[in-house]
Amino acid sequence: MRTIDDFTRPLEYLSPMDDPLGKIVRNWAEEYVIPYRRKFDEDWEDHDLIEPAFKRLMGELGLQRVLFPEDLGGWGLGHSNYLGTSSYRLFEEVARADSGMAVAFGVVFWPLIMIAIEPHVNRELCEEFAPIFCSTTEPRFAANAMTEPQGGADIENMEIVKGSTIQTTAVLDGDEWVVNGHKLWPTNSGGVCNLFGVVCTTNPGSTDPDDFAFIFVPADTPGVTQGPPYEKAGMAADKNGDIWFDHVRVPRHYRAHGPGLDLKYFREVITLGNMGSAAFVSGSMMNVFERLYEFVSSETYQGKPLKEHDAVAGVLADIVKDIDIIRVVGYQYARMIDRPDIYGPRWSEEMVIKGRAYKYWACDRAVEDVGKVMNLMSAYGADRDWDVEKHWRDLKIVQLWMGGKQLCQMEVARWFFECETL
Amino acid sequence: MSEHEPFPFMHEWLSDMDVSLAGNLKRWADNEVMAKRLEHKEDYSQLLEPAMKKLFLDIGLQRLLWPEKYGGDGHNSPGAALTMAAALEQIARGDTGIALLLSGVWALQSCIAMEDNLNEEVCESLSSIFVDKDLPAVVSLVLPLYRGTPQATAKLQKGSWTVEAKGARPIASGADASVFGVVCSLDGAGEGVGLIVVPVHAKGVKCGKPFLKTGLAANRNADVDFAKVKVPESHCVAQGEEACRGMLGWLYLGISASTVGALFASYEILKEWGDNRVIKGKGQVFKSNPLTAAVMAEVAKEVSLSRMLTFDLARVLAEPSIYGSPGEERNFITASMVAHQVAQSAEKAINNAMEMMASAGYATEWNLERYWRDTKTMQLCLGPYELAKMDFARYFYGSQAR
Repeated sequence: MRTIDDFTRPLEYLSPMDDPLGKIVRNWAEEYVIPYRRKFDEDWEDHDLIEPAFKRLMGELGLQRVLFPEDLGGWGLGHSNYLGTSSYRLFEEVARADSGMAVAFGVVFWPLIMIAIEPHVNRELCEEFAPIFCSTTEPRFAANAMTEPQGGADIENMEIVKGSTIQTTAVLDGDEWVVNGHKLWPTNSGGVCNLFGVVCTTNPGSTDPDDFAFIFVPADTPGVTQGPPYEKAGMAADKNGDIWFDHVRVPRHYRAHGPGLDLKYFREVITLGNMGSAAFVSGSMMNVFERLYEFVSSETYQGKPLKEHDAVAGVLADIVKDIDIIRVVGYQYARMIDRPDIYGPRWSEEMVIKGRAYKYWACDRAVEDVGKVMNLMSAYGADRDWDVEKHWRDLKIVQLWMGGKQLCQMEVARWFFECETL
Repeated sequence: MSEHEPFPFMHEWLSDMDVSLAGNLKRWADNEVMAKRLEHKEDYSQLLEPAMKKLFLDIGLQRLLWPEKYGGDGHNSPGAALTMAAALEQIARGDTGIALLLSGVWALQSCIAMEDNLNEEVCESLSSIFVDKDLPAVVSLVLPLYRGTPQATAKLQKGSWTVEAKGARPIASGADASVFGVVCSLDGAGEGVGLIVVPVHAKGVKCGKPFLKTGLAANRNADVDFAKVKVPESHCVAQGEEACRGMLGWLYLGISASTVGALFASYEILKEWGDNRVIKGKGQVFKSNPLTAAVMAEVAKEVSLSRMLTFDLARVLAEPSIYGSPGEERNFITASMVAHQVAQSAEKAINNAMEMMASAGYATEWNLERYWRDTKTMQLCLGPYELAKMDFARYFYGSQAR
């Protein structure tokens, strides 16, 4: 019987740790997530069911430590040659079970990319923050506080807007940054965050790259207020809410790197965000395949399994073709991330743009295909007990986040066609 | 209907009564649903049930098509199809699930209560349900899941049908139906399929527990067992493929019109977003950026064409003297094509609207995601599109593919 492992991956580019890491997460998913996920939607606020699964994955199995150097209690993925492909595998496996959990898990690393990855490791900050994640078996969350009430896409639109719309300010007062602002929607807010990476400006309205600042703020710093989580159409394991920074003071050295370098390396955050998005899509779609396989093999039409009907088979083919290609493209991008010596720095405009293209293409395909799966399943397509509708709801937000489709289109067109006024 | 005037339909087909009713129903949607849903979200007892009672009982829509002789309003000519389209657009704008439930009521009534096809015995026995003053009538239709193969069987013996099905999946309301309309394979009657009316309290009916699903909160659905359920012979209200297809034609009209209502609501939400959101980097109001304007245009196009198609279908059903009976193959194919097309248009349009609203499109607070979930769930009532295409291929090409 075909399984999700029959979908293509570039086997020669994978880490020697790929198989054991994948098995760890898959076993965790089978035991801690899949039996309970049908109740996750109602658990969106309290996380009574979701929290134990996070604790096991991130705290007890230790996956919240992977990025930090080994001498700080981490697993050293930050200086690994397999940062991209290993992360991709981890995110896929978690997303197969629940993409809300996958994004919450993935975003723990997201702000830490700024300081924990070669060649721009900030050792001082790694030493400062590693204990949050590496000295406990409780789950710990980080969040990338970027979006503001007036816009998120504008803030990500670094080539054109260059940070000029950021309204969260960071003012240096002696040896401290004073941060003021209002962020909303980051994954792992809504009350769960332990450490924020905050996108700020040191000069509101400025387009000077030096004025873009990425400053770490521990969530328990006085002046930080996290609002309750929003209720959403899906992704219950991912809490999103408002965060207010009211004259929050953090040490000067909590800025990730400094003028110019913060914006430069923040592009890498976008690159890895796009890769992660593709991995979540990949993982979700593989579970859709698993459930669809079961359905079209067991439901009959005119005395035969539904899959034996030629017209149905045509649609099945379209779906698995897309799943396989999404996986090929996603792992290709992960490979590009692993090999900056060949493909260029992870923060280059080219890498960011190509990630945008792959991400929005993969999301479009997945959203359309899961809709087709639901249609094939007729009255069972919307049934929570078949799990497909959950992936349909969850995948939609993957398509919407990180600036959405229109930002991706503008950036992709601008780079490939060298547009000057877009 | 004035806010939706930009969306085209054939005005001359609607009577003054239809227009007046639509205006009343728009107010119902505004006051009974939209004004309260920020607080109550999709809560059945706090929001949906009171709204349904107002609609079904106080405004009286569950008896609109019911014969006057049996306590109804007597609007039971084929022209009611146009009334239905105009009404369901407005109802679904408020809540798509409630619109679907009313579609089921009217679809079943189309087989029983129409003036040219009145089933007096069944009208007599079901009047207590449809003219009840206290309880909304909830109709649960059990249809073939995969086009053609009924989920239930019925055997005629000694003047009674014995209906059997295990774990049958209705399209709606399996958990709280007042009455079921069950499409069955018939045995002992000569014709292959028939629609049999089964009151919920008939001996042998067992409703399961409601299952969780994507959308349509007003629709509390569950699997149902029919264990040797006996009903009178007259309760087979549509016998043969053509008669059953006639009922489906009315149902598909209801689903199409309900989808259009959801599209209206989605358009309103997107319009508000486009009017007020500013793309800072461009210094532009959202709707004035060429790329976003292009996508918004696509949304408007889908709404427009969906409305036109739905009213075209209503016209076909309203004028059997011109187009033939609803169950004739040509008209059934039209109904099926229109319903599937409108559902696909809604999927595309609301997906686009959500993309443009990004996180706000996904948040409960903005309501758009509810129409997205509801229309998708309602689309599934039509059955798999790939199998419906077999009907189209047979009709247009003489294909033998099944």
